[in-house]
Amino acid sequence: MLRRSLRTQITTKVVALSAAAAILLGAALVTLIVAVTGQRDAARVAFGSQQALSLANQLEKSLLLIESGLNRYVTTREPRYLATAKRELATYPVATRRLAGLVSDDPGQQTRVAELSEAITDYDAFWATSLIEIVSEDGFEEARSQVETNGGRSRLDRVRAQFESLFTRERAVIRAREQAAERGSARAIGLGIGGLVIVLGVALGFTLYLRRSVLRPVRTVADATGRLAAGDLSTRVPAEREDELGELARGFNSMADSLERGREELEYTNAELTRSNAELEQFASVTSHDLQAPLTTISMYAELLERRHGEQADGDLDLVDGIRGATQQARTLIRDLLEYSRAGRGHLNVEGVPAGLVVEQALEQLAGAIEETGAQVSVGELPVVRADRANLCRVFQNLIGNAVKFAGEETAHVSIEAQRDDGDWRFSVRDNGIGMNPDHAGRIFEPFQRLHGEEDYPGTGIGLAVCERIIDQLGGRIWVTSSLGEGSVFSFTLPAGSPAGAQPPRVRASA
Amino acid sequence: MSLSRSLVALTALAVTLALGACGGTDGDAANTTGRGAPSSGPPIRIGAKNFTEQSILGELYRQALEGKGYEVVLKADIGSTEIIHRALRRGALDMYPEYVGVLLSEVAEVRARPRGRDAQYESARDYERKAGYTLLAQTPFSDSNALAVKPAFAKRHGVRTIADLRKLRGTVKIGALPEFRTRYEGLDGLEDVYGLRNLEVDAVESGERYSTLDSGDVDVASVFTSEGQLAGTDYVVLDDPRGLFASGHVAPILSDRILEAHGPGLRTAIDAVSKRLTTPAMRRMNAAVDLDDRLPGEVASAFLRANTLL
Repeated sequence: MLRRSLRTQITTKVVALSAAAAILLGAALVTLIVAVTGQRDAARVAFGSQQALSLANQLEKSLLLIESGLNRYVTTREPRYLATAKRELATYPVATRRLAGLVSDDPGQQTRVAELSEAITDYDAFWATSLIEIVSEDGFEEARSQVETNGGRSRLDRVRAQFESLFTRERAVIRAREQAAERGSARAIGLGIGGLVIVLGVALGFTLYLRRSVLRPVRTVADATGRLAAGDLSTRVPAEREDELGELARGFNSMADSLERGREELEYTNAELTRSNAELEQFASVTSHDLQAPLTTISMYAELLERRHGEQADGDLDLVDGIRGATQQARTLIRDLLEYSRAGRGHLNVEGVPAGLVVEQALEQLAGAIEETGAQVSVGELPVVRADRANLCRVFQNLIGNAVKFAGEETAHVSIEAQRDDGDWRFSVRDNGIGMNPDHAGRIFEPFQRLHGEEDYPGTGIGLAVCERIIDQLGGRIWVTSSLGEGSVFSFTLPAGSPAGAQPPRVRASA
Repeated sequence: MSLSRSLVALTALAVTLALGACGGTDGDAANTTGRGAPSSGPPIRIGAKNFTEQSILGELYRQALEGKGYEVVLKADIGSTEIIHRALRRGALDMYPEYVGVLLSEVAEVRARPRGRDAQYESARDYERKAGYTLLAQTPFSDSNALAVKPAFAKRHGVRTIADLRKLRGTVKIGALPEFRTRYEGLDGLEDVYGLRNLEVDAVESGERYSTLDSGDVDVASVFTSEGQLAGTDYVVLDDPRGLFASGHVAPILSDRILEAHGPGLRTAIDAVSKRLTTPAMRRMNAAVDLDDRLPGEVASAFLRANTLL
């Protein structure tokens, strides 16, 4: 198993391929060196052979000089010819020894040089020197008859034939060496080119291998990661390989598996929450609606009771008033509860709405209270926003109503403004009222939360909760900054650019 | 004369045939003699002159000695006596076979030669001994200088002896080797002994002497009595009544140095060859080379085997 995984590892393959390429390059280099060395040796041998040829030529010329010198000496009796012959005779032993060192190491050539040396020595011993002795001992006449036998000439001709064979063979050797050297260099060039091609091929193969077996799988995983990040949790990659990339692919797949599992769990939980919310709201709505009928009946019976016994039972009228008051309070509570529950549901008619007009409409609704308290309301320049007109009116109505209601001792001053805040419009409703402890600022948006008693400031405490629900539905948020006795600023945002209705439906985890 | 010529020719033919047969079945002879113990002395350099008989003699001594285990170098094809004898004296050779008469007349320059082969031999031996050389036993055959003419020429001019050449009118052309002009056994002697003054030498190479005589370019040829051409009736050898041409027996000359270096066995081995060389045998071997185009080495080898010398 270990052996198998070792064999299939990319690392192992990369190392093996690099080693193979290095060995190929090395082999090509060694071949080139061998070829170049052979070339150099061939050149050296060829040079030696050329020297040998030149020396042999010289030697042959020297022999001809001896022969012709002797002949002329015998016929002309001029001593200078004898001197020439003797001078040349003195040179050949050294020359033949040098020749043996210069001719190629071809065994045949060494034999030829040895035979040639012997033939020259014989020419000297059995012709030239004897002839010179004959002249000095018996005179020119006797020597001339010897010369006429052509004994020296025929012996010399044989020597020259041996020279010819030596030349021919040496030239053949040189030619063969040159051809061998040329073949060697051609082979070296071929091998060099071949080696280069093979190395290039290996490099190309290596690149293709990297592309096909490494880069492509990596790209596949990278693409899959992109799809995964974009939300496609079903993305998987092939993971059959045994090597490092196989490990990567398997790791990716198992990560995608666990992400997908997590999302499924989350979706299930969300669905459960949504369902239970809906059930709760349905319950509240149905309950509120169904409670209206008995309350109306109670209220009707209290009125009948008052009308029938209005004159006699004056002491009991207080009790009847108590029933009526409690009934009224219960109806208000139910009405507000219904309003709150409806605020979270139903169809929104989102369109471009001029906020100024909406504020004006809200002020009309509040005209009674404003007039009663003498509150001062100022409205700044307001933009057109995408919203549901009725709901937005409800938000302004609640916020401005609160500002008027919690005015405190002084005359209420309420100002409504809007300003651009990045991608949103931020609306603010500012008052100079009683304010609140900043610690309570978060709590006041919860349903039925009141900071004051019913007797001080009437109301069920549902208004701000409705506002938050509406703003939340329209894609904004709502908050308050305030401190006790310093007035309050209620702010909310609405998206400026994109239509509010295009926002994906939001799920309130805290509902 | 003609009867003896015929006998010689027949003998030559018979031995030639025997030689040819021996060439093929000489295995036993070779095995019985074999090679002797190798000699520890220096190699023996044998010289031979540049004509057929000398080539054969060189091969005979070389092969016989090599058969006995001596190391031999044969230097064949050396020029005339004047050349080869000087090479021997100079130390370039250790041995060569020489004609006793030639040695006396051309080297020792003894003109008043003793009569008889043994006397001449002893005279030559003494001459060599003084110089530090030994003349080994001479051969039974004799190859002396002689003059030969065509039978038709002899008949027409009535020439039977050398002296008869005086009767001829005009110049008599002799086809001979160049040294014939200056040798005693040549023009010099012919003039001195026979008073011949009408002779003219046409210098030719050794192998062309008979052909120039055949073609009529010359009247007389200088020949050697053991030559194969003389075995038949194609030529007439002129008598030498005044004994101008000396003994043609061959005796090998060896340096005392080489004899001492190799001991008495060397002398025995050489003498064993020499004593088998009769005139018919030599003439037959010459004929085998000159007329049958066989190689001297081959002919020598066949002879040695036939005589259990190899």
